[in-house]
Amino acid sequence: MKKWFVTLLVSALVLALLPVWAFAAPPAQIPEDKIEGKIYTLEPRETLSLVAAREFGNVLAFPAIVYFNNFAARKNPQLTLITDPNAVKQGDVILIPTADLVKAYLAGERIGPAKGDAPPDDPWGVVTVGPGEPVRIGFAAALSGAGVDVLGIDEKRGAELAVVDRPTLAGHPVELVVEDDLCSGEGGTAVANKFVADPTIVAVVGNMCSSSSIPASDIYERAGYTMVSPSSTAVAFTARGLRSANRVCWSDAIQGPAAAKFVYEKLGLRKVATIHDGSPYGEGLVNAFAEAFKAMGGEVVAQEAVSVGDTDMRPVLTKIGVNKPELIYFGGFVAEGAFLASQRADVGMENVIFMGADGIKAEDFIKSAGAAAEGVYASAADLATAGPGVNAFLAKYEATYGEKPPAPFHLHAYDAVNVIMDAIYHSAVQGPDGTLWIGREALNRAVRATTGYQGLSGVITCQPNGDCGTGTVAMSKVVNGQWVPAE
Amino acid sequence: MALLEIDNIHTYYGNIHALKGVTISVDKGEIVTLVGANGAGKSTTLNTICGILKPRHGEIRLNGESLNTLKPHEIVAKGISQAPEGRRIFSRLTVMENLEMGAYTRSDRNGIAQDLERVFSIFPRLKERARQVGGTLSGGEQQMLAIARALMARPRVLLLDEPSMGLAPILVQEIFSIIREINQQGTTILLVEQNVNMALQIAQRGYVLETGRVVLQGSAKELRENPEVRAVYLGETRH
Amino acid sequence: MAVVSREARVSRAPAVKLSLNRIMLWVVGLGVTALVVWRIAGTAALGLYGPDVWLMQTLNGLVQGSMYALVALGYTMVYGILLMINFAHGEIFMIGAMSGYFVLNGFHQSGFLASNPVPALLITFIVGMGVPPIVGVLLERIAYRPLRRAPRLVPLICAIGASFFLQQAVRLLFGIRTKVYPTVAVLSGSWTITVGEREMRIQHMSVLIIVITIVLMVALYLLVRKTKIGKAMRAVAEDKEAAALMGIDVDQVIMVTFAIGAILAGAAGVMWGLWYKQVIHTVGFIPGIKAFTAAVLGGIGNIPGAMLGGLFLGFVEAIAPTALDISTQLKDVISFGLLVIVLIFRPSGILGEVLTGKKA
Repeated sequence: MKKWFVTLLVSALVLALLPVWAFAAPPAQIPEDKIEGKIYTLEPRETLSLVAAREFGNVLAFPAIVYFNNFAARKNPQLTLITDPNAVKQGDVILIPTADLVKAYLAGERIGPAKGDAPPDDPWGVVTVGPGEPVRIGFAAALSGAGVDVLGIDEKRGAELAVVDRPTLAGHPVELVVEDDLCSGEGGTAVANKFVADPTIVAVVGNMCSSSSIPASDIYERAGYTMVSPSSTAVAFTARGLRSANRVCWSDAIQGPAAAKFVYEKLGLRKVATIHDGSPYGEGLVNAFAEAFKAMGGEVVAQEAVSVGDTDMRPVLTKIGVNKPELIYFGGFVAEGAFLASQRADVGMENVIFMGADGIKAEDFIKSAGAAAEGVYASAADLATAGPGVNAFLAKYEATYGEKPPAPFHLHAYDAVNVIMDAIYHSAVQGPDGTLWIGREALNRAVRATTGYQGLSGVITCQPNGDCGTGTVAMSKVVNGQWVPAE
Repeated sequence: MALLEIDNIHTYYGNIHALKGVTISVDKGEIVTLVGANGAGKSTTLNTICGILKPRHGEIRLNGESLNTLKPHEIVAKGISQAPEGRRIFSRLTVMENLEMGAYTRSDRNGIAQDLERVFSIFPRLKERARQVGGTLSGGEQQMLAIARALMARPRVLLLDEPSMGLAPILVQEIFSIIREINQQGTTILLVEQNVNMALQIAQRGYVLETGRVVLQGSAKELRENPEVRAVYLGETRH
Repeated sequence: MAVVSREARVSRAPAVKLSLNRIMLWVVGLGVTALVVWRIAGTAALGLYGPDVWLMQTLNGLVQGSMYALVALGYTMVYGILLMINFAHGEIFMIGAMSGYFVLNGFHQSGFLASNPVPALLITFIVGMGVPPIVGVLLERIAYRPLRRAPRLVPLICAIGASFFLQQAVRLLFGIRTKVYPTVAVLSGSWTITVGEREMRIQHMSVLIIVITIVLMVALYLLVRKTKIGKAMRAVAEDKEAAALMGIDVDQVIMVTFAIGAILAGAAGVMWGLWYKQVIHTVGFIPGIKAFTAAVLGGIGNIPGAMLGGLFLGFVEAIAPTALDISTQLKDVISFGLLVIVLIFRPSGILGEVLTGKKA
């Protein structure tokens, strides 16, 4: 009796699973020659969202238009290449893809991979992903360490949600291989050495900190790995002519001058002091700010630095206070920023404006600095230009992790994964049995060719140096304990 | 029943068998001396009594009560105090503070004040130097302080470990006369000495230790007259 | 016995043993000192900073130094008694800061802080100074006492491990997010005084921190000098075995030493929270290192040395970047450089030799 029951159970299980096996075959990809649609010329004041709403009843479909248009534009000179979906204009000629294509795009499908019978030749080597094997993407960020682990955990969640949203790639599951780089040079190189020793790692999302990305990029460059950093904003990261180093955030060469312009033109101030925290990010940022500010005719009356972990900022504030700056521009993170902002009043500098950047634009800053946070400015990614779907993403984030994102770069991490996945579609070759051959150099070129990709963090278009974030910087200000746009 | 009974104790330093069944008894009011060469186990015996070393076998009893399981400070509270070898006074504490430490286990203010008077009458020089730090005292004064400090516990048995060591002969005389005086005031004393001659002059009874064993025991007089003792410890050649 | 031999070594070491090595060190030390003096003279000649700046930096330094000093006392007392660096002492400080936070934040949320600020602060200090000794004593009992007869490196490594353990335990229990002390209205005022032609602001809180520190230091001094347990601590520090022969319960005295060090660190932790607002599980690391430096600077094992070392270190950190007219980022370089220079001239710390001199 019992035996009979077990037999029944097993057969039931097999039967139940059968359909899954049957349908587990790779879904149809979008072949290159199937890109169809109609050629359309934009009317005055017509935006892509409007077109998407009219054609497909879904404003969120506009990235699909950009995607297929830009792909077709490479072969059809009549079409306008869309590098910024928010800046299309009357007379631009675009391809409006078919509803089926849009549907496939929104389901995570992309053009490609190309069909083939043999692995392609690639000078940097080819990753072979056998049938049913996962496509493995490395992820490196600081997951431990005071004050930085929050940033790293936030990025990791962003990357994880990208995989949740697109769990398969050309019929292969996508796997994120997570490593902790401690936001340090040693940690960054250790993780890089680990990844390059593993031939199944296709590309790397990371690193989080410029301090780890910069040394790691040299290792990836030698090994022919492509990295896409969500948050390494230091100028030096992409300034060394490396092909491996890419990022979907802005460079501080954009953020610093943007802040300087805001201070000089909008706030009308002429005397500033700068303080950085000794990190490559902080130092690069304030240098870019100071140069731009001086070039505009402003005066940088004091340039100071503190160390990560410092708590007593009164001495440094007392020292720069002698020079009577009207504003302090700070390059660094939440903890030191909050100490500086809140201790201003102790040395009689409460009327000196405090400004930071994306490193301090977090809820924790307001909590830590308390009343002294009021009136503090920070430059950060412009959410007004951030892509559609951000709200849905944030809802999913909160539902999955039980809290709001505690740090600023989850969207960029999400985008970095997607940029790599799209580039794999565009560069890989798929064999008849589903085997995926990914040429490392081809993948690198495909990443660098990313144009007008509408990510959650904004539009991503790669420059020849690997800067892919478009760098729309917006100023925020703390008003009544909230970060609000400052204009 | 003797006041202090050391019953067949075996003490080890790690694997070194330092005491191999030592049995000693000290009666109330006596001066008993332990003599022997370097390494015979004299100080080891005292340290075992004080609880700094624990015997592996055997028992130590004070007034019939076993001390084996007690910690050093509890043994002091029971009434055994020691002026250790090398004096070991607290050089950074004043003479007065050293004496207060001697009375650490006691809380009877009046009794402590009385005993202070008493040690100052025995050692008038310490009274002069009461506010000086111990480190500034001369060797003889430090020895006096060490004995005085041990007396402050108002011990039932006072253990003295090499009180004459490193002192000028004139001071040795002085120290020994003080020891006799303390004994005459009613304190039982167990005295370890290398200066066997002096020790046997003031003690009533004595034990001779050799390599962890008691090889001879008897009254001071018997020991003084024992040819072995005379040859080995009193430096007389055998006739 | 180790203590005795250490004392003997220190007191016998002649201060003027002129080996080549020593002469070279002195030359380096004098050279650096000359450089520093020249640099300070240069800054003074510039006339950039008025008396208000110097006074302000001195005050900043004294406040910071007060907290260093309180933590340094714990290092120095434990070292004095066990010849062991209790590297987990920074974490004891952190636990004080954390305990204070939970109490004060609770009072803040319930409105008790606003209605009864003084009792609220008192209770905060009591808890902030009450929890660390419990942890400190447990630490001694569980982690250090079994190793007391082990080679000296063993308890040191154990202390480092304990430090990580406490840090991670607090992280797991209370999360990684920065905790922010609520603002206490009665403490957030300031006096404005005129120095020269400039106005200068003195925070009420800074004066309170200095006053509390002085009170605690005087209390500690009296305890160590005048009470029975204090004298016993000094006796145990000098010779544990002799102390045991006097009837002193050495284990108990060591426990009390840990507890007193932890109480002082806890007070420093609460003041740290009130002064800097942000506390996190790693908040003890840097103050711990600095306080240890201060203890060495003052002569480790020496209580007045730790007080002086802490105040001195805080003062130099605050004033040196201004005095030398260099980046504040270099203040740690300056403070550790200072340690090296002090140790060249006084190998056993500022007050280390005074003690031996008095003894000899």
